[in-house]
Amino acid sequence: MAEEQSLPYLEERKLVKRWGGPLPVLANMLFTGVIFAVTWWVFQDPRGIMRFYTPYVGYNYCRWWLIILIWMAYIFDFWPFKRSWVRNAHPLQKGVVLSLMSIAIMWVMIHGFFEGILGNFAFTYFNPTQLQKLPGLTDFYAAEYAAQACMMFAVIASWISPAWVVALEGSPWSGLKQPYQGFSIWLGTFCLSLVIYFMTMHNHMGILYYPWQYFTAICPPYWSDFAQTVSANFHVAWIMCCTVVVWFMEGIWERYPFTMIKTPWRRRLALFFGIIVISWCLCLFFWYMQELVWGDAIRGHRRDAAPDWRWLHVGETAIFFLVPALFTQFYLENWPKKFSAPVNILLRTTLVVILGIGLYCAYYMGAHYVLGTQKGFSHPQQFPMIPTIWLIDIWLINWWFMDGWPGWRREDKTAEDFAAERKYHEEELSTWSPAMIPGLCVGIIAGIAVYFLIVAGLPIASATFTLVK
Amino acid sequence: MDRRQFLKGAALGAGVGTLAAMGAFSYSPARRAFLKNVTRGTKDFGMCKSVKVTNISETSWFDNKVFMRDVTSAGGLLVDQYTFNWPPFGNGKGVGKGSYEEGIKLIQDCLPHRLEEAWARVKEKCVSVENAGGFSCLIEIEALDGKVTKYLMDTGWNYEWMDTCFKREGIDKMLANNEIAAWIQTHEHMDHYWAAPVIMKYNPNITAYIPDSFYPPGKDYLKKSGHKGKVIEVPKGLHPIEPGVALYKFDCPIIFKVFGEQSLYCNVKDVGLVSITGCCHQGIILFADTAYKEIAYANDNFYGLYGGLHISPFDDWDPKYDDLVIGLKKWNIQRVGCNHCTGLITAQKFVDAGYPVVKGTARFRSKTQNYLGNGDVIKFPA
Repeated sequence: MAEEQSLPYLEERKLVKRWGGPLPVLANMLFTGVIFAVTWWVFQDPRGIMRFYTPYVGYNYCRWWLIILIWMAYIFDFWPFKRSWVRNAHPLQKGVVLSLMSIAIMWVMIHGFFEGILGNFAFTYFNPTQLQKLPGLTDFYAAEYAAQACMMFAVIASWISPAWVVALEGSPWSGLKQPYQGFSIWLGTFCLSLVIYFMTMHNHMGILYYPWQYFTAICPPYWSDFAQTVSANFHVAWIMCCTVVVWFMEGIWERYPFTMIKTPWRRRLALFFGIIVISWCLCLFFWYMQELVWGDAIRGHRRDAAPDWRWLHVGETAIFFLVPALFTQFYLENWPKKFSAPVNILLRTTLVVILGIGLYCAYYMGAHYVLGTQKGFSHPQQFPMIPTIWLIDIWLINWWFMDGWPGWRREDKTAEDFAAERKYHEEELSTWSPAMIPGLCVGIIAGIAVYFLIVAGLPIASATFTLVK
Repeated sequence: MDRRQFLKGAALGAGVGTLAAMGAFSYSPARRAFLKNVTRGTKDFGMCKSVKVTNISETSWFDNKVFMRDVTSAGGLLVDQYTFNWPPFGNGKGVGKGSYEEGIKLIQDCLPHRLEEAWARVKEKCVSVENAGGFSCLIEIEALDGKVTKYLMDTGWNYEWMDTCFKREGIDKMLANNEIAAWIQTHEHMDHYWAAPVIMKYNPNITAYIPDSFYPPGKDYLKKSGHKGKVIEVPKGLHPIEPGVALYKFDCPIIFKVFGEQSLYCNVKDVGLVSITGCCHQGIILFADTAYKEIAYANDNFYGLYGGLHISPFDDWDPKYDDLVIGLKKWNIQRVGCNHCTGLITAQKFVDAGYPVVKGTARFRSKTQNYLGNGDVIKFPA
């Protein structure tokens, strides 16, 4: 067991169902569903108590909460809490303590670092009070702009931070103990996120004011012609896809097929950039889906043909698939597992696609009945990412902080468990055989055929079904 | 052949093939093979000779800071407008804590003939009463035979302000004399609709065109305002009302929990299409593009537009609005009379970009000459 002692907490534990059949899943869906409903009403719902869904203030909080949860569990491995406490405390106690701590960190990051420090000493757009010095700008939009600017950083960080751990395996700091490892990765990913922010979102903020701030940001931005918009929603699109693909890789895809690369540095780089390449493929496809359903984008449009909204909707679409991917990974325990790894992964992906489409349809058909929002696509002030990420936040707390309570309980992995994991990794995930080549060729052709079937079928499907009546 | 290995390869290949096709094809020029070609619209709804629009009021609220302070206090742009405690629906409980039911109960016995008394009660129970203004305009259509038909677009918001504006432009007398053929209500927003009793005060029998997507409070208010005339609920799509004049209803979600808006297309002989909007929440490009795809109009030319273009109504900005300023060029519009929710910054950007903005006189509390302001008139053709 000694070598396993140094494993991150999420890797050393084994979650075991408390009861047979579907009861654990149902119990956790009920539990997390109630928390979602109550917290949504208290914090986000435009009819509720706090009404953070303005939209950007609430959007900012739910995005930042997500990244803080990732930092706490994946980067800091629950430091500064003692491992013995994390192992032995009651899940409810852990859930409350760790959630409160995550909210406190979120508050410090948003209102302390971005608004207080960066907003007062570097970039006006992070601080509503500074922004209100601009003649004519109201307190409402000052708060919205600052929240948007801050939220955009969280968008990037929620891709880069987990990607560093999942793809780069925490290197070159993976050998360090906590908190040295955590602070090293956190600082590294934070700096990288800032650099990406300057090149993707800063230009957006630079043209938010009249006249364009030519001498502080490159205007019009370099992506303007390619993306048919000057809005940074273009970057939100592919970066959101990166965020989603990272969790696909970590969960339902089990980092396959990159696990077949034996040399660590090659595997890590291939996976890091592979995530970006896969994300771009999805990003462009989600854009094309909209062209197939709604026709060409038209520059200057305000609704479903607006290029900036289409790019935003790419990211929204991606998140609709992240919800079932996490559901499959957590609550279905990555079902199925009985076939070979690639077949399992293909089946899981198919399941996630079906559930994702179902969630997408359900959201646009009925979310306005319960979330206090308006029906319809492309409402300029509505973001389906807010409720979906809010739900994801709750699931992450339930699975990471509460060990899947009430349907699951934590147990220590045994030596047999670790041996079985190693065996599965070596025999299923890491093995390449030339005998796979014929199947690979047939699969590629079939994959291309599936793509064109979808492309041909989408206009027919959209003409047949009406989601928003 | 090893069946297990073949299946492993096939499963991997299926993923690789699908993703590769997504990446290689989805944004390539070849993708257009699967996209529908846009065809030019051919629906003919006739022609008119000219259009004249008189701006009765474009100042929906007078102080943007006060308005946005209320929005902030109530919880943002998605909060139901009937719960703001804005006039005339108040219960005295403060911003964001009102309801339609309590508000209408307060004033319904005064509607539509004792509006001063109603407004006095409103002042006690509502917030930011003096900040409310309203949007309304008079549209005069000259048919090809020279006959002129008048339409009133929207009612405005503040009873006192709108009554004053109606009297200033002679609308009160036109209504009383049955000179106005119909009232066109573009959408349910407070600044366009909540002064409905002021119309009923002068002519409760006027025919009303409203979007079919009004919420129950909106429909109830129409009745309780004292309206007794015909109500035509306009469904999504084109709805001609006389030769050369058609409403078009768009189904779109809008801030403050409103759904759907209708605007007016006028096909003016020899010059082209003229568009008249209330707020144009659907977006001016969608409005123009819909016309292009559905209807035929003179000279195949988008000649002019009047009204609120809902770009930066709260003096806010977003880079996507620059896309609009850039994208509008290709429509080659020749007369633009913008105001109301177009936004001061947008109007300035239109002027900077060289668009043919018809200047106003900035009278009666209108803020800029870039707007076709209160009391100003625009004609198509010039």
